[in-house]
Amino acid sequence: MTDQNDKLEKLMKQSLNGDQRAYAALLQETSRLLRPFLSRRLSFSNEVDDLLQEILVSIHKARHTYDGNRPYKPWAYAIARFRLQDYLRAHYSDQLRHAVDFDELEESLPENVTEAGFSYESISAEVNKLPEKQANILQLMHQEGYTAREVAEKMGMNESAVKVAAHRAYKILRGKLER
Amino acid sequence: MANIDELVAKLAQDASAVKPAPHPFMLSLRWLGAAAIYLAVSFVVFGLRPDLAEKFHNPWFVAEIATLLGLFVATSVSAVLLAFPDLHQKRALALASAWMLALFLLILFFAWRSDTPPAPLPVHDIECTLGITMMALLPAMWIFYSMRKYASTHYRLAGGVALLSAFSVGALWLRLHEQTDSIVHVVEWHYLPMIAIGLIGLWLGKVMLKW
Repeated sequence: MTDQNDKLEKLMKQSLNGDQRAYAALLQETSRLLRPFLSRRLSFSNEVDDLLQEILVSIHKARHTYDGNRPYKPWAYAIARFRLQDYLRAHYSDQLRHAVDFDELEESLPENVTEAGFSYESISAEVNKLPEKQANILQLMHQEGYTAREVAEKMGMNESAVKVAAHRAYKILRGKLER
Repeated sequence: MANIDELVAKLAQDASAVKPAPHPFMLSLRWLGAAAIYLAVSFVVFGLRPDLAEKFHNPWFVAEIATLLGLFVATSVSAVLLAFPDLHQKRALALASAWMLALFLLILFFAWRSDTPPAPLPVHDIECTLGITMMALLPAMWIFYSMRKYASTHYRLAGGVALLSAFSVGALWLRLHEQTDSIVHVVEWHYLPMIAIGLIGLWLGKVMLKW
């Protein structure tokens, strides 16, 4: 364990002197170190990958705050925890924005709750009838579990455009299913 | 995984030699030195209170000034440490300003208890808060400018502590400049606004120090 710490600190010192190979080795070691830490806290592997990339960029930006004279791991983990908290905060606030109010839900519930007027298949069929972009967005968000931000990245859109498109799609679906 | 390898290669390609940030104690010393010069210049310009020598015979005044000075030093050190992602691995020291603030408040409480009969209130009030604010602006700007060069992972707390540090410079100046004996006035118009502004710093830290 101490050997690994010494190795990381040595690599960081060399990196600060401009040794690119040492720096690449350090970042590889760091990502190997952080992957299990993130995997334990996030559900999807694509989330882990995205966040790991963000953390590596942050380590790169903040490397001047490490002088090589103190343990490397606490420094790297401090940045990783900071980015993880940021990510989770954004993720949950995104979920909250999309959460449906119970009062709102009550109004749209059919009186006889045991006999739903529509099935999963009928919703799926209606989703497929939506314009292609809206259908893709709903599929990514609700079947594959991506956040609005991730969908935006995947589709080359901005996050608010994804949310607007999703909102419009919900409205169309609601109209069709209520009929 | 392939993305990570690509990113690592790209970052390594961009990596040139980097000068590490100075040790936090050196940075704090620089801040303290600059603040001392700033205070000295402002005393030359605005003058010291005429009864200062006499006031230094009052133990509660001495304790108040000493703890205010201590608060300034502690918040300066804390703010610097909070500007580093890992608090330079000196967590206890980074949070020491909270203890110093508690001690300062305790001293104010005892100073208030010993103020019998209460000293008369001065005729002015908000002018003191404005004076402290004007005096603290430059140190505040400088501290935030310096902190932005680093990478705080506790940006809210760092902002609050930094603003408290800057405003303690202003409060120190006014206490040694203005001839006021009323501890009630001093608490109400000097120190409570100083602490309240420290709370505003929590928000300012989020705006200015997020990276």
